[in-house]
Amino acid sequence: MFSHIIYSIFSVGLCLLTGKVIEAFLPILPASLYGMMIFTMLLHFKILNAKRIQPCIEWALANMAVCFVPAGVGIINHFELIKAHGFTLVTIIFFTTFLLLTFVGLVYQRQLNRQQLTAIKEQSK
Amino acid sequence: MISPTLISMISAALFFILLTLAVYHSYAKLQQKLQKAWLNPMLLSILTLIPFLLLFNIPFEQYYQATTSLNKLLEPAVVALGFPLYQHLQTIKKQWRHIMVLLLVGVFIAISISFIITLLTINQYDIAVSLSLKSVTTPIGIALTEQLNGSNSITAFAIILAGLFGALLGPPWLSLIKVTSPKAQGLAIGAASHALGTATISKVSYEHAAYSSLALIISAVISAIFSPMIINTLAHFLQ
Repeated sequence: MFSHIIYSIFSVGLCLLTGKVIEAFLPILPASLYGMMIFTMLLHFKILNAKRIQPCIEWALANMAVCFVPAGVGIINHFELIKAHGFTLVTIIFFTTFLLLTFVGLVYQRQLNRQQLTAIKEQSK
Repeated sequence: MISPTLISMISAALFFILLTLAVYHSYAKLQQKLQKAWLNPMLLSILTLIPFLLLFNIPFEQYYQATTSLNKLLEPAVVALGFPLYQHLQTIKKQWRHIMVLLLVGVFIAISISFIITLLTINQYDIAVSLSLKSVTTPIGIALTEQLNGSNSITAFAIILAGLFGALLGPPWLSLIKVTSPKAQGLAIGAASHALGTATISKVSYEHAAYSSLALIISAVISAIFSPMIINTLAHFLQ
């Protein structure tokens, strides 16, 4: 188990480092996103062993929200803003989240229905 | 010799990091036990730590400085998201063109509308940036906020709210508007409510989980590539 932890940390670190190098030459995306894509590719082409990494990564993904608690506590510096505009802010967040949810859901459902329909037609031919 | 200020700095860092971890851990355990999406441990930890800092008159800057090492984990956290993407590469292969175009249009509309409405009603650039990034998963959303000079803490909060809305109200709302396929439900909730929505809906079926985590990552990558362009262009015309 211990060697799996070292292996996982080393793999993620290596991908992040490579991402930093790419970012230095090609500053379009943040280094971490380059790192993420390299990580995906190395797993896909079986250069990294997914089975060894899985338990560690799943644990990290399940618990990573704790890293963002300090940023969230920073809301303490925005009490004035919340007092003045809190309701407006929540309304905008609510409305636009539902907009995106509805748009993606409806369009993809329609696409799936159409695909199903053509499949049925082809079968009956 | 180690100077006394260094010792007090290290002990402050240890204290605040352990405090944050302990508070978060107890809420995570509570949620695990009661299985309620609204008992979000990140939200509850923030709401517990704020009164704590106020009560003991601890300035936020001191707390934030002491916990910077937690913030530094942001980058490896983004890299780790490559794992679920790898797991769902097969799904994309079959449908990638539809999914890409749909999410591209969706992200474009969502970022633009959030940015425009916020700028017109509140007229603060940093807040508008933060709200427009609320459907992006937290590590990437915060990284983009820093890049575009938004407000970290407002982004963190907006992301939690967008996540909770979609996780709690998404499934009943989608069923109501006749979006019933697990693929479409997963894709919609992953795009709008990122990891929080994904975690909630993943319990329903494997298809929900696959499409939701797929949408969460693809839309985060799309946002990372296009949000600087969208926001800079809109800011140019609106200000």
